[in-house]
This record gives sequence, C-alpha cells and structure tokens, in this order.
Amino acid sequence: MARGLLALGLRRGDRVALWHEKSWRIVAAMQGALRAGMPYVPIDPQTPPERARQMLRDCGAAVVVTGRERAERLGQDLGPLAFITLEGAPRSDLPGLGWEALRSLAGPVPARAGQPDDLAYVLYTSGSTGRPRGVCLSHRNALAFVRWWARELGLSPADRVANHAPFSFDLSVFDLYASFLAGACVCLLPEAAAIVPGRVVDFLLREGITIWYSVPSALRLLLEHGPLMEMPPAALRWRALLFAGEVFPIKYVRQLRRRWPETRLLNLYGPTETNVCAFHEATGEIPEDRIEPLPIGRACSGDRIWAVRADGVPVGPGEDGELWVEGPTVMLGYYGQSPQAGRAYATGDLVRVLPGGEFLFLGRRDDMVKVRGYRIELAEVEAALLVHPAIRDAAVVAVGEGPAGRLVAFVEAREAPPPLLALKQHLATHLPRYMIIDDARYLPALPRTATGKVDRLQLRRLWMEENDTKTHAVEEVKTR
Amino acid sequence: MSQLRAEDIYPVLRDYVARELLHGEDAGLTADTPLLEWGVIDSLSLAELLAFIEQRFSIQMAEEEVTPEHFQTLGALSELLARLSRAHA
Repeated sequence: MARGLLALGLRRGDRVALWHEKSWRIVAAMQGALRAGMPYVPIDPQTPPERARQMLRDCGAAVVVTGRERAERLGQDLGPLAFITLEGAPRSDLPGLGWEALRSLAGPVPARAGQPDDLAYVLYTSGSTGRPRGVCLSHRNALAFVRWWARELGLSPADRVANHAPFSFDLSVFDLYASFLAGACVCLLPEAAAIVPGRVVDFLLREGITIWYSVPSALRLLLEHGPLMEMPPAALRWRALLFAGEVFPIKYVRQLRRRWPETRLLNLYGPTETNVCAFHEATGEIPEDRIEPLPIGRACSGDRIWAVRADGVPVGPGEDGELWVEGPTVMLGYYGQSPQAGRAYATGDLVRVLPGGEFLFLGRRDDMVKVRGYRIELAEVEAALLVHPAIRDAAVVAVGEGPAGRLVAFVEAREAPPPLLALKQHLATHLPRYMIIDDARYLPALPRTATGKVDRLQLRRLWMEENDTKTHAVEEVKTR
Repeated sequence: MSQLRAEDIYPVLRDYVARELLHGEDAGLTADTPLLEWGVIDSLSLAELLAFIEQRFSIQMAEEEVTPEHFQTLGALSELLARLSRAHA
C-alpha cells in the first residue's frame, strides 16, 4: 500500500482518504499511509457522495481508497484526485490503481517516513457551522492515549479486541492501535453485523473477545434485545468492557456487574479533539437504589483536566463549570485552521467537581447533542433542512436517550409541507444516516426567545406534551 | 404453518413501518423505498421489526439472513419472508 501511494506520485504529508466498508484491506491502507508519512482521512462508508465530496475537498485529499462503484460515483470533478480500488481496478478513465496492480508492485518496503508531531489522521465530526469539521490528530496524540490504555488494561498477545466502532469514529483508534502495540488480535465486526444483536453475540463467542469498546447504546441494544442475558455468563471471555460517547444509565452498568462480576467496567471520556482524557472504573456492587450515572472520573493518558466558571475562574469540589483539557492527547487543531498544538481545549461540556476530585457530566453549553452515541451539531441538520426549497425555517431537537434517542425537526414550510419520508430522502443526500431526523412537526412559526433565538426548550416541551398525551391514550385503551 | 405470499406480507409490513417508524405518515412509502439509506430503520427499530415479524408471521429469521440487502426495502424483505415461509412449510 505504501509502495502504491508512492507510485501514484504522492508525497509525505499528502492526505489519503479511506471510503470503504471495514476490511483488513482498509486497515492495510491506513498502515501503508502512515508508513509513507501520509495522514489518512476515514470517511464512514454510509456517507452520501455529496458529503464525501465535501470532506475530500475540505482536506484536499490526493487519493481516495475505495470500491470501484464509489470511485465511479465520485467521478472526476475533484481535481487531481487519484483512486485506489480495493476490489478490481478503477474505470480506465479514472487515474489510479486497482488491488491487483497494487499487489504486483515490486521493490523494497518504503522506509518509515514521518515524525511524532506529523498529522496522523483527520476525523470529521459534525460542525456547528453547518459543515463537517476535520479534527487533526498527530502520531503523538494517538500514541499518548493508546500507550496509556494498553498499559492500564495489561493488554497482551493473548487478548482479542473487538472493533465495533466505524474507523471514522475515534473509538476505533484504541481498537486498532492498542492491539498492534500489544500484539493482541483485533477482530473487526462488520457494519452489517453490528446492528443485529444476535450477530454481535455470535461474534463475541466465535472470536473469544476479551476486550470490548463501544458506545453505551451498542451495549444496551445487546442487553435489551440480544440473546446475551440468556447465555451462561462463562460463555463470554470478556475481561474488560470500555464505553464512551454518552451517559450509560446506571441500571445497565449494574446488570453487567451482576452478570459478569469479574469483568472490568470502564467509563471513558473524551471528545474527538482530545482522545480519551479521563475515565472512571465502576468497582464493587452497584446498589439497587443508586440512580446517578458513573462520573467522567479523573484524568488519564498524561492529560490534565479542570473545570472553570463562565468568568474563567477554576472551580472546586461541589461547584459546576466547563471542562478543559490540556496534555499530549489534545489535537493539533481543525483542518484548515491555524494549528493550536499544546493549547488547552475547552470541551463545551458542563461538569460538577465531586468531593473526591472526580468530575460528573451535567450537559452541554451549546447545541451539540449525542444521539445513540453519535455526536451531532443540531445546526448542521438544520442547515441541511434549509436547503429544501419548501422549508422556510427549521429547528431540530434531540429527544429520548440511549438507543431510543431521536431527532425531531420543527419546521416552518414555505408551501405545501413535504411528508416526513420526503424530508428523510432529502437529508439522506446531505447527511450521514445517524443525522437523519426521526420525526417532523410543522408549525406556523417557530417559538423564539426574547432575544430572537429559537426557543428549543419550548420545542422540547411541545414534544413532551404531545407524547405524554399519546402515552396516556395508550394506557387508557389498555386499562379498558 | 401455511405458506405466505410476498403480496400478502407486504401490506402488513408497510402498515407496521408507517405506524411505528413514520408515525402514521405513509405518504410515499412503497415497496422500493430505501429504508436504511433514508434512515427509516436503525439498529433499535430493526430489533423491534424482527420481533414483530417473528410474532406476526411465526417466522424466525436466522442471524445470517438479517443482512442490509434483505432490509433495504419492504419489497426485498417481503420476498425473503415468503421464501422462508415456503421453506418452513
């Protein structure tokens, strides 16, 4: 793969985009890119072509590693972009290399290029400006986090690490690189299997998984819908369960603890911009009457974390503030913006400092939400809705939690309101699937606060009132 | 169990998807609507849909049959269920 990239005329620092389903070939592409000193840019395979183009343009990718069909869909209108196709060869009018051509390239393995502070990969996250934003991470950023966690877990060649997250999601950085570092085996769970609880459990058994890392929603899906709880606990070999990305309601943590008392349960915290910078380990029995979730915990990976008030003054135990992170795992910056390596990062997360010095997550100070573990800027969904000619204005709110988390759009229509399915179809051409709205309501005018901003609180209240009524109606029918 | 035909299964599935996943708004929902691509079905609703299929048609799908191709559209799913029902009958 490194030879192929060099054969295409790419040089150290050129960006290599990856847009393909999970497979060992795409992992090889990552390794080849890093070997040749080129950062890679993973794009979720479900990303619609329009959005993929936007990302490719934004990071000025020199090559995209993909399938033949996607290469054709992207076409040639992206400047000097070359293609590496992982099955077959690119169409003859597209510049690039096919898998067979790649394998037949001869010559020595290229020497290792690149330095610790070079860009290693770019992860695109939802952006508050209405466009995806590329988070730039260096080799040093990733290694600081991966080394710390490989040591904390005592990862060894005997381990079999599950990779649940897509490669475009930072959880996969642990799966891949902690495994490589420790000589452990990393087992890729295909995207198509990850959404079916029965297939995930098959995978856990078949691969003898010892380490699992995912968003809590994925574990909840297993606990609630899969055959997981019906199996003898000893059938599973998992010795550590890591979860990150959203709050994991304590009752599920308790369920896991009771069923697998020897398995370590670790709540990891960290936005894409900082890798994992804090964690809390759930130890001992979790009392039946406990309702508060696990805290974010304390700093790890060599980082320092603290909370500050709105006026910038650090807060102490019992007080609330915004969480800041500083240290070796903090990103280089956003793609296309001036680098901020070494600078502290304000997470936008509001936390409480607990008496023991740990931090507890309280909420966000902006309109970023987590739905099923995915980070979503509501402004980006709204921007995509506004592209629709029949929509005058739109505001999106997140409702529900865990796997039942939903996005609801409140819309002012210019003309005949498009049906829900038409809105979904429209959004599917602009956004990844997890950002497509689940429901829509049309209003003559969006409610606004005194300052003229959309009143999201009011919208959430409208939604809850409507759904409370529905629930009551169902209960009434049932009791009759 | 009697054999089911795709044309009998489809309206039942369509009714379920319209009611449970589109909140009763069935405008534009056809046998060819791309359910996954347009975000009509996600991992949670897939689990619930499987439970519905099992209960309504007494068809238990093997894990390896639960693939994106089979759930891509209501048409594809109806065809698959009809095939499974013939095989089980």
